[in-house]
Amino acid sequence: MSIITSIPRPDGASERSLPRKPPPTPNSIAVAVTLLLLLCAAVWSTVELRINLATMMDSISNATNFLARMFPLDFPPAGELAALIFETLAIVVLATVLAVLISVPVALFAAWNTTSGKYSRTGARVIIVLARAVPDLILAIIFLRIFGLGALPGILAMGLHSVGMIGKLYADAVEELDNGPQEAIRAAGGGRVQQIVSGILIPLMPQIIATALHRFDINLRISVILGYVGIGGIGLAIATALRSLNYQRGMALALVVLLLCIAVELISGAIRAALLGGDRSRSRNRTVSWADRVSENWVSRGQKKTGTSEGLDAGARPIAPPWNADRVRRFLSMSAVLAIVFLSLIGAEFSWEALGYGLANAPTTLGAFFPPAGGDLLPVLLSEMLVTVQIALAATLLGSILAVPIGIFAARNVVTNRAVQTFFRVLIVFIRGLPELIVAIIFVVITGLGGVAGALALAIGAVGLLSKLVADSLEETDVRVQQAVQAHGASRTQVFFAATVRQSAPAFVAHIMYLLDSNIRAATLLGIVGAGGIGFLLLNASRVMQFDVVTTIVMLVLVVVLTVEAISLWIRKAVH
Amino acid sequence: MSSFVQSREAQAPVRSEEPRYDVELKNVTKRFSPTVLGLDGVSAGFEAGKVTVLLGLSGSGKSTLLRHINGLQRPTEGEISVLGQRIENAGDAELRSIRRRIGFIFQNFHLVGPMSVLENVCTGKLGSLRGPRLSLLMYPRSVRVEAMEQLERVGLADRAFQRADTLSGGQQQRVGIARALIQKPDVLLADEPVASLDPVSSAQVIELIKRISREENLTVICSLHQVELALEFSDRILGLQAGRVVLDRASASIDQREALQIYSKVATPSPEASMKSLAG
Repeated sequence: MSIITSIPRPDGASERSLPRKPPPTPNSIAVAVTLLLLLCAAVWSTVELRINLATMMDSISNATNFLARMFPLDFPPAGELAALIFETLAIVVLATVLAVLISVPVALFAAWNTTSGKYSRTGARVIIVLARAVPDLILAIIFLRIFGLGALPGILAMGLHSVGMIGKLYADAVEELDNGPQEAIRAAGGGRVQQIVSGILIPLMPQIIATALHRFDINLRISVILGYVGIGGIGLAIATALRSLNYQRGMALALVVLLLCIAVELISGAIRAALLGGDRSRSRNRTVSWADRVSENWVSRGQKKTGTSEGLDAGARPIAPPWNADRVRRFLSMSAVLAIVFLSLIGAEFSWEALGYGLANAPTTLGAFFPPAGGDLLPVLLSEMLVTVQIALAATLLGSILAVPIGIFAARNVVTNRAVQTFFRVLIVFIRGLPELIVAIIFVVITGLGGVAGALALAIGAVGLLSKLVADSLEETDVRVQQAVQAHGASRTQVFFAATVRQSAPAFVAHIMYLLDSNIRAATLLGIVGAGGIGFLLLNASRVMQFDVVTTIVMLVLVVVLTVEAISLWIRKAVH
Repeated sequence: MSSFVQSREAQAPVRSEEPRYDVELKNVTKRFSPTVLGLDGVSAGFEAGKVTVLLGLSGSGKSTLLRHINGLQRPTEGEISVLGQRIENAGDAELRSIRRRIGFIFQNFHLVGPMSVLENVCTGKLGSLRGPRLSLLMYPRSVRVEAMEQLERVGLADRAFQRADTLSGGQQQRVGIARALIQKPDVLLADEPVASLDPVSSAQVIELIKRISREENLTVICSLHQVELALEFSDRILGLQAGRVVLDRASASIDQREALQIYSKVATPSPEASMKSLAG
């Protein structure tokens, strides 16, 4: 922005020229060039993958065929269906519990205020980054080799991969926590473990549970994809049905997964909102109310909070907390959690024996993964990896084109019409509820095998993620700036572009880079269902037991994922 | 004009016995970095059963001094004895045992917000217990009874099962005091205990500390910014400037104007010079 340093004199004599705009820093030039290159690459990827109107038109007949072959939906018998659901939920519960149990200590070592030293902090951070970078599918392949068929590989794969997200969120929460209580316990002679339990874990408990529930939702979706490599549950049943082109059964089960995801989101969203003290007021509209519950009141946020005060227990001086509604609720929740974990252990047919046997033989089994395959396979692997990157780039471009306008229409301070806002907010929450894999499967059937299906599935998924972030960042803009522009007589459109968008543009860029980061991770897996990219080769290599090829793919994926993450992180930091 | 600051020896009445110090610092220096000094050669003794108030600008070293007495920070140089034990090089176990006998009241209360008031008080007893405690019911019955007694003492027994973060600032500080008292401390440290409170709550909290210190014959070391309150509340005033002791006398011999001078001057290169300047 330039600043006028002199006021023009009425006689027009000797005006000073405007000051020169300061030259951009090398870093900002580098960021701008990288962004431009990424945009070009995304456009090129879209063209290369042949994502265009012609392809879509060609697919219309496929879609009609698919719909025809999908109906009538063929649900398995109730007993079989219940067993499938039970098995799936059991695996997901145990995986999430495992992730929490590992993440808590890892996060305590990773957070600067609780770590025991520089090395343990770096070690914990490396664990978090690696856990996040290695897709759960790859972990599942490795664990299937070590522990054999059953629920255990799925539990371990999802559990360990989840540490990447849960561990990071826990570590961030620990670092943001007020250190005061911990210091007070230390000052009173409390030991390190006492300080951590009373001063950190107890105050963080609501966040610990809320994050775990959030991850539970994610793991439920992921469990479907693990079925493709042989992990039990609904995912395996879907994979089996679709492989034999039994779309009626496959899509019926996909619908079950969708409903299960919605039900779980509904419950966990409500619990998260209650735990984190969210706004409990509900809209009268049932759809809005549902969307509110799954999105922690994001749809109709902004209403007054109703405070509740706990009852006092005067008179006699009991030294145990009274059995009031809160304590009953806490007791019941704790009992329910224990019961669910116990039932899950039964449901997943968890075998300590298999765990022990697998661990004992792990060194020998892991030997099959080394040395990594190389040489003549590399060109094929690299070209499929390139397709994966193309899918991620194209999906990010298409997703942004779709998601940014939807996000803008969902922002309260941009669109004043409440019906429009609510419609778009409900739409976003609904799309968020769709498991990406199910969308990918549908697209594979409609558009055929290949990158188009993967890119379109991820682009749809982007609406759930990016639109919400866009709407949130628009709502977080400083209203006073908009009022100032309005006060000078600007129209609504002028205010939007001059004040609102200008304020949130850096956040938009950051969110799009985050989307690219998350798309590249997802794109490595979509090949499993035939949606293009390296995932297909990964599945094949594991099927024909070429574990050295699996290792090479893992290394390639790690390099690409970590590179994209580093670029994304650098740009996000630079624009903020 | 009498010298503004006199040495302890000069001030102390002629007695046959040396005063018994619960806390004693000898030439304590804390260097945070090569250029930043937290404490600069502080020597002071704190007599058993007396109330001492630390006065000084923010950053003058009051909190640092208190944190050194509790071993929350270690000195770069010098000796610190608390209740007859040297703590500057004490190991973790030794420090824990000495901390059990030192109560600490913080400016921002440092309560665990989502925890009940009673459980917060119980955390003061963790130093005497083995292992962590995940809930109130995991504390021994005797500790809970004691915690309730302390809450009654500070007038908050009826709030025992309320979440600590639902209380007002003054009430939270009273919980902080109860948490310190459950330790049955010999020494009570208070780091600006009323700085976050309104005048009415401040007066109540100071009155409470005063009453309890008298009842328990506690050695109290308290940092304050309210000069008037400090003079009324304490037996002795210790003035700090840039980590150095610039005033160390019985409160009865200091008037408000004199005490206020601690806040009016910036640090001077040597203790002598700054003492002279304060003496006017």
